[in-house]
Amino acid sequence: MNTQEGTTLARIGQIAINVHDVDRATAFYRDVLGLPHLFRAGQLSFFDCGGVRLMLDKAEKPEFDHPSSILYFQVGDIRAAHKRLKDAGAKFEDEPHVIAQMPKYDLWMTFFRDSEGNMLALMSEVPRPA
Amino acid sequence: MSATATNLGMKDMGISSIGQISIIAHDTSRATAFYRDVLGLPLLFTAGNMAFFDCGGVRLMLGPASSPELDHPSSILYFRVPDIKAAHRRLVEMGVKIEAPPRLIAPMKTYDLWMVGFRDSEGNIMQLMSEVPRT
Repeated sequence: MNTQEGTTLARIGQIAINVHDVDRATAFYRDVLGLPHLFRAGQLSFFDCGGVRLMLDKAEKPEFDHPSSILYFQVGDIRAAHKRLKDAGAKFEDEPHVIAQMPKYDLWMTFFRDSEGNMLALMSEVPRPA
Repeated sequence: MSATATNLGMKDMGISSIGQISIIAHDTSRATAFYRDVLGLPLLFTAGNMAFFDCGGVRLMLGPASSPELDHPSSILYFRVPDIKAAHRRLVEMGVKIEAPPRLIAPMKTYDLWMVGFRDSEGNIMQLMSEVPRT
């Protein structure tokens, strides 16, 4: 679709995240992850993450009631971010670790759960000394 | 931390952006063809049975679930397009399953927010979105 004017999928504007308790999830994304809360519209709660809108929502139908995709949040210092989130009450699945050695950097990740049980991750690209 | 961030109740946990999103694919080759040829996203690289795409600086990782617990449909991703009716026509021509015709979801202050839902090759529901300035 990128060959025609007007039809290019330029970027992701929004991601829907299923939650079971909108108030509880709003508190987690605001107070634990530290993301800016944009606004609330009924049972929808919107956050900003670097220009992408996160929409916390209760599933309308059983078909849609499944966990979120894993979202990998970029951080500069993954050990520090891991510690801050853990201190703030996030439940981690593992410790920060190298998941892939890329040509110019090491890719670090660590996985955790939000208040709704969704699996999420922190990621950091750590440059390798030349 | 800026005053704006403080006003929004933001704590500095160091999260700057979303770097990657995982999308479970039951057939990575089929899904790769869909995201590359139908959606027109740039394929970055493949690694084993995983394929990585770029969408405006966010990496999409397509591949099988690493555990049964994670084997569920994707979150709905809302892809921005400049012209939603033209993009919708392209999807129809390419044989993509459309959930419902493009529709006005919300009239915002300065623009109308339009969306159209479709299914990818793996059955995941996705959306196109477009902010159409009101004249």
